[in-house]
Amino acid sequence: MNNRLETFVKENRKAFDVMEPSAGLWAKIEQELDNKKKKKPVKLYLWMSAAAAIVVVFGLAWLYVGKLQNKDLEIADVSASYAKKDVHFAGLITEKRDSLAIFAAANPELYKKFTADLKKLDEDYERLKTELPSSPNQTFVVKAMVKNREIQLQLLKQQLLIINQVDDYKRVNQI
Amino acid sequence: MQGSRAAQFELYKLYAKAMYNVALRILNYEEEAEDVLQEAFLDAFTRIVDFRQETTFGLWLKQIVINKSINYLRKRKMEFVSTDEISEVPDEDSFDDYEVQLQAEEIRTAITQLPDGYRVVLSLYLLEGYDHEEIAHILKISENTSRTQYMRAKKKLKSILEQKGMRDE
Repeated sequence: MNNRLETFVKENRKAFDVMEPSAGLWAKIEQELDNKKKKKPVKLYLWMSAAAAIVVVFGLAWLYVGKLQNKDLEIADVSASYAKKDVHFAGLITEKRDSLAIFAAANPELYKKFTADLKKLDEDYERLKTELPSSPNQTFVVKAMVKNREIQLQLLKQQLLIINQVDDYKRVNQI
Repeated sequence: MQGSRAAQFELYKLYAKAMYNVALRILNYEEEAEDVLQEAFLDAFTRIVDFRQETTFGLWLKQIVINKSINYLRKRKMEFVSTDEISEVPDEDSFDDYEVQLQAEEIRTAITQLPDGYRVVLSLYLLEGYDHEEIAHILKISENTSRTQYMRAKKKLKSILEQKGMRDE
């Protein structure tokens, strides 16, 4: 075990670190650090304005679509309490979707899969909605619609949890 | 949060040379080693909030430097070939029986002449002080491969040194 090479290296460890990095390297690092510092606030500002824009667009779209669909039978026409729930869930869903969208850039494949799942539920919801006016048991359909919203919300919560964990894992393994 | 520039420079002065040598031993190219050094310091400074006080800053930085260096090597399409199949037992040969005067400078130069795979394992074990379990983890190879590679690297190193010794005589 007591090997001459290992012992020699251990005793003369310093003699092996003889090379020097070039003198200008610190200047380069400093420059990069300055660049990063300047970029950061701009980036945050951009993100915030992007988020604000999304909120405005969503809001406007919601109002517009709401107006267009006013002639359709709404959940509120059937049951006020279910309508309240529906609106409540819809708000939470939009919020969660926005959070999910922020992670999208880092995990594009995962995001694609998640949105596919959500899209199916969304389609189901729309189908129920078109069925609603002609349905003989409207309360039943409305119940199904609210349940659909609830499932969407649960799914989103799970997805956020997963994507968060993936993100954490990635960050830890970066080192 | 980012710490003052003066403090960063102090850290740089303290660690740059040692870290540069770590990277250089793995990469064998000065330019790449400098790139790694630059990236590693930038990373360390921008992620200093992630730094947990379980280890020293030096060890943490060294880990970053080594990982980055290995990534650079991998980009060069170098593979840490598994040698598990060829399980010849490498003879535990020691340097005791040989004539060459062990000179740090000679050993250092001889290490640079080793093939990538040998050089990396040998550097990590002999100079950076990692054990085979840790090397296996860093290079994503088996512990056994790390051991075998190290033994072979040592053998090769010995032959390089012997050749050099003969030429000098």
